[in-house]
Amino acid sequence: MKASLSWLQSLVPGLPGAPDLVAARLTGAGLEVEGVHVFGAGAECCLVVRVTAVRPHPSREGLRLVTVDRGSASQELVCGAPNVPEPGGMVVLAPLGTYLPAKDMTIEPRAIGGVTSEGMLCSEAELGLSTDGDGIIVFAPDFVPPGTPLLEAWPSASDTIFEISLTPNRPDGLGHIGLARELSVLFELPFAPPMPARLAAREHDVAIVIDDGERCPHYASAILLGVNVGASPAWVRHRLNSLGVRAISNVVDVTNLVLLEYGHPMHAFDLALLRGEKVHVRLARAGETLRTLDGVDRSLDGDDLVIADAAGPTALAGVMGGAGSEVKPTTENLFFECAYFDPRTVRRSARRYGMHTESSHRFERGVDHGDTDNALARAVALTQELAGGLLQGVKRVDQKAIEPGRVSLRMTRMTQLLGHAIDRDVSTRVLKSLGFVLDENGSDADTYRVPTHRPDVSREVDLIEEVARVVGLDAIAAVRPRVRPSVPVGGRERLIRRVREEAVGLGLSEALTYAFVAEGDLALLGAPAPAVRLANPLHEHHTVMRTTLLPGLLQAAARARRHNERHLRLFAVGSIFLEGGELPAERPTVAFLLGGERPAFLSRLQSYDAWDAKGLAVSLVERLVHSTPEVVPFEATTRPQHLHPRAAGRLVLAGKEIGQLGLLHPDVVDAIDLDGEAWVAEIDLSLIDIDVPKRTRFMPIAKFPISSRDLAVVVSENILAGDVARVIGAVAGDLAERVDIFDRFQGGTLPTGQVSLAFHVVYRAKDRTLTDAEIDAKHAAVVTAVTSRFGGTLRAWYRQEPE
Amino acid sequence: MSTEVEAQIDQSLATLRAAFSPRFEAAAGAGGEPALREENAKILGKKGELTAILKQMGTVPGDARKRIGEKVNLLKQEVEARFEALIKTLAASKRDAELNALPFDLTLPGRAPTPRGHRHPVSSVREEVLDIFASLGFAVHDGPEIELKENNFTRLGFPPDHPATDMQDTFWTTSGTLLRTHTSNVQVRAMMSQKPPMAFVAPGAVYRRDDDVTHSPMFHQIEGFVVDEKVTFAELKGTLAEFAERLYGPGTPIRMRPSYFPFVEPGAEVDIGCVFCIQPSGTRRGCSVCKRTGWIEILGCGMIHPVVFEHCGIDPERYTGFAFGMGVERVAMLRYGIPDIRLLFENDPRFLSQF
Ligand SMILES: [Zn+2]
Repeated sequence: MKASLSWLQSLVPGLPGAPDLVAARLTGAGLEVEGVHVFGAGAECCLVVRVTAVRPHPSREGLRLVTVDRGSASQELVCGAPNVPEPGGMVVLAPLGTYLPAKDMTIEPRAIGGVTSEGMLCSEAELGLSTDGDGIIVFAPDFVPPGTPLLEAWPSASDTIFEISLTPNRPDGLGHIGLARELSVLFELPFAPPMPARLAAREHDVAIVIDDGERCPHYASAILLGVNVGASPAWVRHRLNSLGVRAISNVVDVTNLVLLEYGHPMHAFDLALLRGEKVHVRLARAGETLRTLDGVDRSLDGDDLVIADAAGPTALAGVMGGAGSEVKPTTENLFFECAYFDPRTVRRSARRYGMHTESSHRFERGVDHGDTDNALARAVALTQELAGGLLQGVKRVDQKAIEPGRVSLRMTRMTQLLGHAIDRDVSTRVLKSLGFVLDENGSDADTYRVPTHRPDVSREVDLIEEVARVVGLDAIAAVRPRVRPSVPVGGRERLIRRVREEAVGLGLSEALTYAFVAEGDLALLGAPAPAVRLANPLHEHHTVMRTTLLPGLLQAAARARRHNERHLRLFAVGSIFLEGGELPAERPTVAFLLGGERPAFLSRLQSYDAWDAKGLAVSLVERLVHSTPEVVPFEATTRPQHLHPRAAGRLVLAGKEIGQLGLLHPDVVDAIDLDGEAWVAEIDLSLIDIDVPKRTRFMPIAKFPISSRDLAVVVSENILAGDVARVIGAVAGDLAERVDIFDRFQGGTLPTGQVSLAFHVVYRAKDRTLTDAEIDAKHAAVVTAVTSRFGGTLRAWYRQEPE
Repeated sequence: MSTEVEAQIDQSLATLRAAFSPRFEAAAGAGGEPALREENAKILGKKGELTAILKQMGTVPGDARKRIGEKVNLLKQEVEARFEALIKTLAASKRDAELNALPFDLTLPGRAPTPRGHRHPVSSVREEVLDIFASLGFAVHDGPEIELKENNFTRLGFPPDHPATDMQDTFWTTSGTLLRTHTSNVQVRAMMSQKPPMAFVAPGAVYRRDDDVTHSPMFHQIEGFVVDEKVTFAELKGTLAEFAERLYGPGTPIRMRPSYFPFVEPGAEVDIGCVFCIQPSGTRRGCSVCKRTGWIEILGCGMIHPVVFEHCGIDPERYTGFAFGMGVERVAMLRYGIPDIRLLFENDPRFLSQF
């Protein structure tokens, strides 16, 4: 909402002229002033001067040399405007040194075609008064004596404009009268709203029929005959322009002035274009259409409230008039409407057609339903002032009475809620000056009638807020918060935090990724089909909620690679959205991505490989639950399609699959333009219990010594080391404390297709020192089992000398 | 006979006595400690020269034997002493050489156990804010990101078809649920399932249909709320003042401006004294961050609206409460001087590695 300081000053005599002071007080009371700017900046330096001579420029076509009388002196100027008046006409001169912010220019002497011009004749656009830059401002010859300062002759050419950001609960602030009332309270000054005389006229003959009193409780109207539609005078145009409303014609401008003054939208119909002497406020019927003033044909909905004449809809109630009954320069007779429409009805229609008008904005928030007569009378008076016309008749239909609310305010409650006592006198004064009517004076409670301009107030707490905001929240002294025992951060936040801590500790960097993704990305990654689709996505690549964290990570990786950042260690932690009950299941998940080369120490960089990915995934889980997950390669039939056939594994913890990891499938790499390979892993955190480590039980430290044996076998390269280790462990049984692989070797003297695997087996018994013979026998059994099971040949087995 | 042998032995001992030290020195000089030990073994070892001399003693009579024995022992001690001394000298010069060798090039990079990982700035701020409220006795409460209209709007007192909902342009799902527009849904859920007193903070992702320099369609919020008997606006103010001092430093002032959120009343927006243009004197000059006002808006707050209590089955006469909410991205952007919210979601390694 834009507001004019000079207009407010006329409504609140004595209001300070210092814009910052007014702005600060409005902001302090909850009507936030976001900006203050000057309308007509530069006009204060300009003079009204008389043209005394005009001759063509000696060398430049289209330019003229204009001699002007500025009262004390004459001067000659170069002017290119097409509308320089005959001698005697009056124009506006910006003297040397004037700064015109609208054009960001300072007037300096300029030589044009050999003639020096010391000043400029101005258009309205150059002064920022309107967008009209076609010609200079011209006044009648007898306007004012030459040399009169422009603002003396034309005070409306300068103003201070506030940009006020109004919250939706304050429709009263959408008109200058409402803002003035507020300021009168804040500055404790008298409030002087216009008092238009009651319209004294007979009822006119146009029938007014209202079908639904809920949607249109009040409808006031007036008919004016014989108006002269034309341009508005300067003060009207300036006022409208200063407030961001385009001046159109005196009649339309009047409705806009009243809108800006009362905050109450009105509409003017050309009476001749209202068919059948009838106004019918009703719901649109099936198949009806309306061409609105913006020239768009709209197929109406059965929920739209329309103003119809005998032939059909002619306005969309409270939103926009129809082109068919628009006031034009030829209009002679007017039908003025000033009604109260149901906010929700107007809002639904406005949203249905994506229209947001000055009118719908106000009706949606709730205009003052008690001021229809005043606004209408004001409009009639202004029209008669600007366009003449005879008031032929008025008519008012009240389909439904809107009862004023009555609200009690207990002083004890106010003190209790605010933690600060406010004097009852102060509270009463504030509320009364805001327009609340004190109805009843109880021992502790006052009962107020709510004024019609405050539809937002319906409860005691609303009154408390009114008092508090006017008194000022700064007046309420802060009280130290009561002491509560501090609590550890718990819940899902704690889990996510632990995961983040470990992931960062493992050298991963956290990415913040969107939860909405493109459906195609999920399909590409073989992720579960989306459980949640957006009905109104903002972008076509954000249409469903993710069922995997990978799309966001992959986008980040692809973007980084486009910017030549090739080495990536990223993770993301957040929810994925899967099928659930009434609401989807939101599962906490972590995913990471490795790409490019692992950091190396004074050696050639090498690309991340399967064991980097596995090591990271295993370490992450290990650090969270203090036990080691297994990685089990996927079978071809169950392998997720986004992973490479050669490198795809499930992460298994205590027999349960908790995640997947692997190399991104090259088809996926190509599809998302990743430009190089990437290793990815994703872990379901709902299966991770970070409290497990707390339940650790101490185990006695082993008393008896260990004894180790090594074992190296040559087997076919398709034998998995883990399978061999498992057999070793199974055969060695309880005596094997650990089985570690320490070498894997191919090539050299080994036949093609063969691989040498070397294991280190640590033997120990819990209850005795093992004898060499016992261990050797066990290890021999291990060797036999391994060679026979895997068809391998023994390369060596030997015992390690204890150090 | 015996004296002849004795004289011979004496002769051998004298020869050895004269020779052992130069021999040790020569060996040590040529072959270091191993050669020295070898030389020592040649003299004192089981098959060594001194042992050989000792073996000749069997042929001499008792008293001469005793004498020779003493001489041999004496020589043995001399040899051992010399040997030990040389060993020590050798060790010392070895230590010395080691100490004086070329220093390691400590300007070469260190071998990091793992590369450094980076927390996202939004996460760092989120953790810090939650820790502050946890220490003030607020427990963390979770809630779903996809929510029923009732919990996101209706029970919070958003009237249907009301412009208040324009303040939070909503993503709807095809099944009629919505992406929560604030974490205030947690307030509703907590109040519907628990009895006062309660003090919670609810962090998490929220969604609004907005996308520009200062708005992201997904962002993060932390809402806090307290419900108890006799909770006051003054206490809300005190709580937020405490928070501001802990997050932005002691002495950071707050200012409250009345504002409107459907689920609180009185409602307010909270500004902190600008932390970017504060002068050593404590005054604020005004800067581009605070738009020359000296104040920066950081959160919205208010007393929980009685209608919310009614919708959640809590007696609004008996209980009062306050609630506040802040955008985590905004706090992070202010803290680190990040000008564009989109930087937070691009995950550029050159961005992430700065935090
Ligand atoms: Zn500042």
